[in-house]
Amino acid sequence: MSLLELKNISKIYGDLKALDNVSLHVDQGEWVAIMGPSGSGKSTMMNIIGCMDKPTKGEVLLDGVDISRESSKNLTDIRRDKIGLIFQQFHMVNYLTAVENVMVSQYYHSMPDEEEALEALERVGLRERARHLPSQLSGGEQQRVCVARALINHPELILADEPTGNLDEANENIVLDLFAQLHKEGTTLIVVTHDPEVADAAQRTIVLEHGKVAREVINENFGK
Amino acid sequence: MTKRRMFLRMITASLLRRRSRMLIALLSIGIGATILAGLVTIYVDVPRQMGAQFRSYGANMLILPKEGAMLDSDHLAEALQKIPQDELIGATPYRYVRLDMTSRQQSFTAAGTDFTQVPKTSPYFSIEGAYPENTREVLVGKSIADTIGVKIGSTMELTYQPTSSSEELSPEESRIPNAMLSGSAEGFGGGVVYVSLQLDGNGAIESLEINAETQTPEYGGRTAEDEAFLAQFKGKKLPLTAGEDVEALSGATVTSEAVVTAVNTARKTEKTVKPQTLNFTVTGILTTGGEEEGYAFLSLEDMETLTGSGQLDVAELSVSAGAEQLETYADAITQGDDTVQARLVKRVTRSEASVLEKLTALVFLVTLVVLLLTMICVSTTMMAVVSERRREIGLRKALGASDGSIRKEFLGEGLFLGLLGGVMGGILGFVFAQVVSVNVFGSSIMFQPLLLPITIIVSMAIAALSCLLPIKRAVAIDPALVLKGE
Repeated sequence: MSLLELKNISKIYGDLKALDNVSLHVDQGEWVAIMGPSGSGKSTMMNIIGCMDKPTKGEVLLDGVDISRESSKNLTDIRRDKIGLIFQQFHMVNYLTAVENVMVSQYYHSMPDEEEALEALERVGLRERARHLPSQLSGGEQQRVCVARALINHPELILADEPTGNLDEANENIVLDLFAQLHKEGTTLIVVTHDPEVADAAQRTIVLEHGKVAREVINENFGK
Repeated sequence: MTKRRMFLRMITASLLRRRSRMLIALLSIGIGATILAGLVTIYVDVPRQMGAQFRSYGANMLILPKEGAMLDSDHLAEALQKIPQDELIGATPYRYVRLDMTSRQQSFTAAGTDFTQVPKTSPYFSIEGAYPENTREVLVGKSIADTIGVKIGSTMELTYQPTSSSEELSPEESRIPNAMLSGSAEGFGGGVVYVSLQLDGNGAIESLEINAETQTPEYGGRTAEDEAFLAQFKGKKLPLTAGEDVEALSGATVTSEAVVTAVNTARKTEKTVKPQTLNFTVTGILTTGGEEEGYAFLSLEDMETLTGSGQLDVAELSVSAGAEQLETYADAITQGDDTVQARLVKRVTRSEASVLEKLTALVFLVTLVVLLLTMICVSTTMMAVVSERRREIGLRKALGASDGSIRKEFLGEGLFLGLLGGVMGGILGFVFAQVVSVNVFGSSIMFQPLLLPITIIVSMAIAALSCLLPIKRAVAIDPALVLKGE
């Protein structure tokens, strides 16, 4: 069953075609990687999937709803309800503790629940670090908090932008293991990366070049 | 946990864990609120302060005798009834005469007064030594003290010479009790006869002296010595008629008639009433920087002993009331009495009103400027906070914060700052006002309990207003910025 479908979308800034007639189909529970050099349109595609931008042309169906023509207010609601975001730079609120950072996401979504937030931290192995401020956490720990934050509201889609770009190998593996767990639980994952190792962890890799889908690679070794 | 508690947790954490930046915003609100609360406190308290302050410049009302009338202590007391006793700070009567200090051949103005009232209407009097407390004690102005070289404890012999304007008086006007008169008339052969006579308490002749040296000794000259002739004058009231009241001395008709004419035309002369002399002890030297330094001050009792009269020239009043109220009192006094009139010392009452007016305008202006500066400062700080927190705001939006949530959070932080700043300002403002009041007005002020909530509300309003533009900026931030690896 399809969760996300991009139908012939283009994003045009003046003369520049950031995305040029791109189509993409992601099924429920699928783990997809998007690769490409800088300027290939990765970020633009990510913004559109993440409900933070709209295509100039084409349709975007998320869970059966066309989000390409929604107002920015409705986009915010959709993003909040359906998407969990993970960023390269982690992005935590630097004056809130780890657990509070997770609770911020609950706060905007529905109701803050400290117990549930602590459970999410436990899941990423950081329960005992819950009361630490971001400045007291390592980069890997911060990214794990962000994973906990992304999954706290049980989103249908987790969208990760270079999630391991600033991590060492050990932490990269921890994060990828977490993704694998989420995948097993049925969460749909879209990971934007330029790291082939990260892309190899996914079921399928879409390669963008010059705003177009250059090729699509199925990972034969997935799950082995 | 409820949403509200999470909201409060977020904004307090934002303020408490990001101290340095928020401290600046808090300080600007706090200082603004302090100055505001301080100024308002002073402003509310100022009319009271200024009243007291202006009273220290002395009297603001005078009570004087009406044209042709005499003022005495009874009339003054009656006039004072027209002013509420709690508003009457002091009323000082004055009687001015010239006294001689014969031993130094000096003469100066002396004022009889009530020393218990002087400090109330002339608080600027600076006394070395003490005010007189008993009779026969004198307070001497500094310039007199310097001229005649008296010190505290010195004695001064002061003489009242009833200087009369005898030259101006007609013979008829001169015939007053106890007056000493002198006159002259042309006698026999063109020679002038001089007389001097003392009147008794009833205005009748008590004694008579004749100088008839220009007359023929055997005839007219005898008038000066003849007991029987002189006796005819004694006990009689002026004018006299020759031939009826006084029989001419035989052989000296012309001289006798000249004596009667001289008596009838005699005028009051100086040194007619016996000069009165009293000994005083100097208890204090007065310095004012004004003309009072040329005066000697003694009690009204001594003044009455010296001059034989208890009349007053003026009374100085210090009344704690506004210009319009003073006018009402003055009118009541002037219209309610035939002998006294009240006048305002315009210089003091007018300047009091105009200074108050100017002060009001000044406080208003300063308040406005302070509010504006506070707003600019808070606004700038919040603006810096917003650009500093761009990524955080973008993140919050990416996590699903609506524009309304962002607004609420920043407004919440602003109001929280306003609350803290307001509490700080309310308390420090009182301290500030107290310090200013003690240093400028020399008196402490009353705490206005209502001012604390007002300061807090105003601070919160200012803080909220200052946040409007920064909030607009915050809301405009694009959530996509968090994805671009900035």
